[in-house]
Amino acid sequence: MQTTNWVPLFPEQASTFAWQVDALYFYLVAVSIAFSIPIVLAIFVFGMKYREREKYVSGAEIHGSMVLETTWSIIPFVVSMTIFLGGAIVFFNQMTPPDDAMTVYVVGKQWMWKMQHETGQREINELHVPLGRTVKLTMTTEDVIHDFGLPEFRTKADVVPGRYTYLWFTPTKPGKYHLFCQEYCGLNHSGMGGWVYVMEQRDYDNWLSGNVSGQTPVEMGKDLFENKLGCASCHAGGPQQRGAKLEGVFGSTVKLTGGGTVVADDNYIRNSILNPASQVVEGYQPIMPTFKGQVTEEQLNALVAYVKSLTPGAATKSPSPGATAPSPANTTGGTGASANNMTPAKADRGKQNAAGSNPNTPSNSNSR
Amino acid sequence: MSTHGHSDKFVYHEPGLQHQFSDMEQQEESVSIGMWMFLVQEIMFFGGLFTAYLVFRSKYPMAFAAGSNHLDAFWGGLNTIVLIVSSLTMALTVYYAQKGNRNLQVIFIILTMLFGATFLGVKAIEYNDKYHHGLVPIAGLNLRAKGTAGAEQHPEGKPCWEVAGHSAEPAAEHQYVNPKGEFEWADCSLAKLAQDEGYLTTAEQIGYFSNGELDGNKFRDKVRIFYYLYFVMTGLHALHMIVGLLLMTWLLWTAYKGYYNADYYMPVEMSGLYWHFVDIVWIFLFPLLYLLGRHFLHAGH
Amino acid sequence: MNAQDAVLETGYQSGIPPVNYLNIKTTLASWLLTKDHKRIALMYLVSVSVFFMIGGLFAATIRLELLTPASDLLETGTYNKVFTEHGIMMIFFFLIPSIPAVLGNFLIPIMIGAKDLALPRINLISLYIYWFAGALALYGLMVGGVDTGWTFYTPYSTTFSNTYVMIVGLAIFINGFSSILTGLNFIVTIHTMRAPGMTWFRLPLFVWAHYAVSLVMILGTPVVAITVLLLAIERVSRVGIFDPSIGGDPILFQHLFWFYSHPAVYIMVLPGMGVVSELISNFSRKKIFGYEFIAFSSIAIAVFGFLVWGHHLFVSGQSPYAGMVFSFLTMVVAVPSAIKMFNWTATLYKGSVSFDTPMLYGLGFMGLFLIGGLTGLFLGSMGLDVHLTDTYFVVAHFHYVMVGGQVIAYLGGIHYWWPKMTGRMYSEFWGKISAMLVFVGFNLTFFPQFLLGYMGMPRRYAAYPPEFQVLNIFSTAGASVLGIGMLMPVIYLVHSLKFGKPAGDNPWMLPGLEWRTTSPPPLENFATPPVVTWEAYEFGEGSGLDLEEARRRAAAPAIL
Repeated sequence: MQTTNWVPLFPEQASTFAWQVDALYFYLVAVSIAFSIPIVLAIFVFGMKYREREKYVSGAEIHGSMVLETTWSIIPFVVSMTIFLGGAIVFFNQMTPPDDAMTVYVVGKQWMWKMQHETGQREINELHVPLGRTVKLTMTTEDVIHDFGLPEFRTKADVVPGRYTYLWFTPTKPGKYHLFCQEYCGLNHSGMGGWVYVMEQRDYDNWLSGNVSGQTPVEMGKDLFENKLGCASCHAGGPQQRGAKLEGVFGSTVKLTGGGTVVADDNYIRNSILNPASQVVEGYQPIMPTFKGQVTEEQLNALVAYVKSLTPGAATKSPSPGATAPSPANTTGGTGASANNMTPAKADRGKQNAAGSNPNTPSNSNSR
Repeated sequence: MSTHGHSDKFVYHEPGLQHQFSDMEQQEESVSIGMWMFLVQEIMFFGGLFTAYLVFRSKYPMAFAAGSNHLDAFWGGLNTIVLIVSSLTMALTVYYAQKGNRNLQVIFIILTMLFGATFLGVKAIEYNDKYHHGLVPIAGLNLRAKGTAGAEQHPEGKPCWEVAGHSAEPAAEHQYVNPKGEFEWADCSLAKLAQDEGYLTTAEQIGYFSNGELDGNKFRDKVRIFYYLYFVMTGLHALHMIVGLLLMTWLLWTAYKGYYNADYYMPVEMSGLYWHFVDIVWIFLFPLLYLLGRHFLHAGH
Repeated sequence: MNAQDAVLETGYQSGIPPVNYLNIKTTLASWLLTKDHKRIALMYLVSVSVFFMIGGLFAATIRLELLTPASDLLETGTYNKVFTEHGIMMIFFFLIPSIPAVLGNFLIPIMIGAKDLALPRINLISLYIYWFAGALALYGLMVGGVDTGWTFYTPYSTTFSNTYVMIVGLAIFINGFSSILTGLNFIVTIHTMRAPGMTWFRLPLFVWAHYAVSLVMILGTPVVAITVLLLAIERVSRVGIFDPSIGGDPILFQHLFWFYSHPAVYIMVLPGMGVVSELISNFSRKKIFGYEFIAFSSIAIAVFGFLVWGHHLFVSGQSPYAGMVFSFLTMVVAVPSAIKMFNWTATLYKGSVSFDTPMLYGLGFMGLFLIGGLTGLFLGSMGLDVHLTDTYFVVAHFHYVMVGGQVIAYLGGIHYWWPKMTGRMYSEFWGKISAMLVFVGFNLTFFPQFLLGYMGMPRRYAAYPPEFQVLNIFSTAGASVLGIGMLMPVIYLVHSLKFGKPAGDNPWMLPGLEWRTTSPPPLENFATPPVVTWEAYEFGEGSGLDLEEARRRAAAPAIL
């Protein structure tokens, strides 16, 4: 997250009303200082000046002062009213989207965000928006209450099951901004984040038409395999190898546990990603988490293309140092090195033991 | 407020005076304030339930009316009269305690307890009726019935607003099949009525419908909320009534032993306060639960 | 010699009276079945300290986990349980009972000149209920705990959580009745048990504060009781009013929950303010400035505190118009607290201020509550709250008012009345050291969290983006200092029980009624029941204290 300077006073202002929130904040800081300094000063000065000089000497007989009481009742009241008014005005702005907003539908669920643009694009944990266009999010959740939080835009809203809630912003600066879930929602609450990408109109159009930075499917698949989804952490050889070797697997005949064989075609690979427990290779544990709901169709195609391209002997790269290889245990890949913090381990609701770990995964995965 | 005299080393303690008090007046005042404070917090306790009732009734009035119609206002009304009369006998108990009339005290306590027990008996009848008709909200707590030979299952072709009654009497030839003892509600005619006449609330317009059609299951869920609140509220009230009866048992024993007279009848009065409170809660529960949708029964709108 | 002299005469006993409430009977049964409010207070003291330590262990665990951005010390599921249990233990089993059940129970009868509370058996039952609820909560903790957050939001807590919600919810439900009975007892006592001459406006402000608190306890706690009960029923039976999949409304839960839980924070802080009024006034040896204003402010806070619960729901989907009403009222409820701050400061003016350990805590309260209260305004202002809610700003705010406020006041009160309760003085040197450690450690722990919150760091996160790490490290460092500062009193206070100097009736020569009986007091609090003829905080002629004599005795070595 970029900050204005090394002292982290406030995050970037990336929306049209961010400055209002910051202004309100600074006003409150000023008010706080204005009240605190006299009081603290008075405490120090009085404490020093009127300290006990001789044991058991009493202080002066002062009962009170109506004038003072009135003054310091009215002034705080008036000041607090200004704070209320300021807050109400800014809030009203935050709650009232302009008419020309483009709508994006958001569905939260444990523990991911699914977005859908009006033009049909679907995204997971990411939201691409064009610079300068007003975006209105219509949101709900499939399970528990979450909260779509965007600190740099200075806005957030709970998503509540059974109804729609709304949030809007107009981005003013291109860049990559945090999305946090900000209502505690269970196991992977801290991992339920993502990014909002504000792009120049031209880049956004590019993105809309599906041409993401001009990658071929195999390149995209490789990127997903090694960096974004952490497949390499189990499938790339080396001491961490827990999953079947994929070099040359496409087209071969695979032996499954419990007997039976299958030809590893497109469907097999696709099924292994979406429903791994149904076809486990003999000799391996059924520990691969499902990526259902975490990969788009486009990404699935890219992965299949990539696996197809793995000829025997082609060494797959081990996870690069900067990549997140999210551990299958219930931790988040929250190192920030990877943009796409997907946590493939989805804790099975019915199967948690008291320690809260997913019994299907090995503990102590040292993926860092 | 109170200026109490000094206690000397030797103090005559009247029977029942606790050691922390300097005289009976202080004790009585304390006990009285204590009981009133206790009743205030009981009001707040029930208040949470009344709030929940308020919220859901304003959201789903037709479901509440439908649910309420199956409650038998006869039994509810009888219970109301029983409790009001029991409050009378309780007040008379206090009166005769004050007069020091031991026999009449005891008689009226017994009468009060009889009425209280009657109340609980009627509630048992009502709960039993719910059990037999699949109206207990919790799955598995209703009568499990597999159905008689040749019996129709729940009318499957019929839309939910043409089902007569929520579910038929168990003795009837057809219906009441409930193998899992679940909450059953088939009749959504009141929702249809409100839809036709155009006074569904916003929440109802969403809550009763799926795909634009009136959905019997969704309506049933809202009726189930009514019954949930019914059971929790009357159940909590019945619990308080049981506590009241235990209190009366103790009171009966102490009154029989002749503890109470003109100078010392505070425990009777405090028990009376508690009893009246239980009565008053019922006075609120009865119309809110039993009398909601009665105008619909007579083809009202 | 008239009665007044007889009372005052006892003020000069030094040493520990041979027969007092502690040693009058020493069997286990005499403690467990006691009706003596002082013994009940001590048993509460031990119990709340246990829960405080447990909650503190959880706090330490949280801070250790947050040293690094990843969830590497604990699994996230475990972390979720740790912060939940930290909240539950601290709020329900430590903060809410602490000052009322320990100091209130001990002091209110003495301060009003009574022999005991009005309803001693109710007091004992209140303790039993607390023990039972605490045991149930600990049992729930040991079999696996809960991970819903102390706020138990639905439908996560009713339908999705895999933890022991019902047991812990039941424990909280039962514990509520302990609170209610304590409050009930206080109201009755303050109304009916005041000694002759103790009019309402001669009551110490500690007593006024507890009266206000008791109102909140009685009116608010039953609502959370029924809410948690409904939650438990819904969890077990899968039928209810909070889960939308069965027709319920999760926001209703939030409203019902916060209807109590906001006044609950006033249950926590009002007694603390009562203690601070005592500390500031007595250690300035001066009548408190604006007595009536402080007294009425306490009542105002209690009343208005019931009207602001919606400020926890600004982003929940609540209507913005309702939000505006709540925001307005939140600003209003801030004003009485401000009035108190000003009055306390003015009390120091032309006082004779001594800086004993209790006073250090009192002054610490003033500084920290100032920040805590002001940051409450930040959160009450809706536009800002949208950005700040559910971030570490909120965490910092409530720790400033609850720890920097209430816990510091509690520690101040314990130190202040320790000689009265035990007859012994603790080491003033170690007292001062730990007070300063607590103050410094506290600020270092929680001030960075304001910055973290504004930067956007969400709360209840086991893992966070790495740019937040530096401030988190500061915070954890501060927590270690704070922890040491909090542990030290345990050591030197316990040490003083055996080795502390006998304090005498009135170690600080103060005019309050509690100082006009022996330390520790006799079973029925006063040798002869007092008649009050002096005003509250009367340091002048009318107090009847012979300060010359006291100075003489202070100059001469004490002969025990």
